[in-house]
Amino acid sequence: MSAKSDIDLGRIELLEAIRSEGKTWDVLAPRYGVSNPNPPWKTSLIAMCDCLAVSGALPTLDRRHAEDELTKTVYSDVPEPERQLLALVHTMLSRGLVAEGDLVSRMRAVRSRLEAA
Amino acid sequence: MSQGHSHGDGGADQGHKAAPMVEEISDSEVLEIAVRELAIEHGLFTAEDHRRFTEWTESVGPAAGSRLAAKAWIDPAFKARVMEDAVRACKEIGIDWAEPTGFGTPSDYMNLRVLEDTPTLHHVIVCTLCSCYPRPLLGMSPEWYRTTNYRRRLVRWPRQVLAEFGLVLPPEVEIRIEDSNQKCRFMVLPVRPEGTENWTEEQLAEIVTRDCMIGVALPRPGRTADVHPVHKARRPVQSSPHSGEATK
Repeated sequence: MSAKSDIDLGRIELLEAIRSEGKTWDVLAPRYGVSNPNPPWKTSLIAMCDCLAVSGALPTLDRRHAEDELTKTVYSDVPEPERQLLALVHTMLSRGLVAEGDLVSRMRAVRSRLEAA
Repeated sequence: MSQGHSHGDGGADQGHKAAPMVEEISDSEVLEIAVRELAIEHGLFTAEDHRRFTEWTESVGPAAGSRLAAKAWIDPAFKARVMEDAVRACKEIGIDWAEPTGFGTPSDYMNLRVLEDTPTLHHVIVCTLCSCYPRPLLGMSPEWYRTTNYRRRLVRWPRQVLAEFGLVLPPEVEIRIEDSNQKCRFMVLPVRPEGTENWTEEQLAEIVTRDCMIGVALPRPGRTADVHPVHKARRPVQSSPHSGEATK
């Protein structure tokens, strides 16, 4: 059974905003007639989890236990794979592997790049 | 100009249509890139490591497991090698468990046991602790395999859970649940179904779907895809305090 995690279940402002955006893949894909059940970024997400485990920054069991806790509480209403992404980032923020302020700034920069004409 | 390929410029090839794409950038997409870039900058892993794991993730899938099962069905000597040392036998079908790092992945330990079903014994795999899964052979696990619902209930009420996948086994068939752990991965080798005599290895592989190798389905002629109803979690209807099942 799922083991208890020491993850902080407090809401994180940035992730709450993303959670409420409503642009999950299960909404976007049918809107554009895309049949792929997963967004293109999912394999990258899985690879990131593996990389964090290999380096020891976030061991697999720690991540999965935190994910179990988060996905049945804070992100219970979010579909996969967005739920897995939010749980991973929540865990990384909670452990101080990245800072929320840095992430907000970087997201702004990334979006700007992706939307550049 | 090459034949048969253009990109909607109204040229000669009017028959070709680009596949539809999602033309919005979601915050989730942006978030995945942003956190990955920061992780790399902070030295949590390298871009090269990430590329290697991404390529590996995209390269694995259940077709490898299907090939292994089909080959084991028609080649008794190969099956014996599978049962003896499955990781080594996997190399014969082109699967190297040491990839992509030289010592495997952090969650796919280089230890695989293949569980052979018989007419009176049926295996099902689960990971009650998290979601361990034989990724080199079966690819990424399905979403339902990761849920606490499947993980928690399968070990308590296996017949009920299997019935929810559409698999109803007769009472005389023993069901054995194998719980993956931090040291070993498992895959089910189902019983070769009747009506497949003289089939080729390729034909047989087509009916050994992912769910058959997890143990929530049985192979049969004509069944080449995993499609099953999705049920909400529920308690057994006829549970009792004496049956070892929950009563509430």
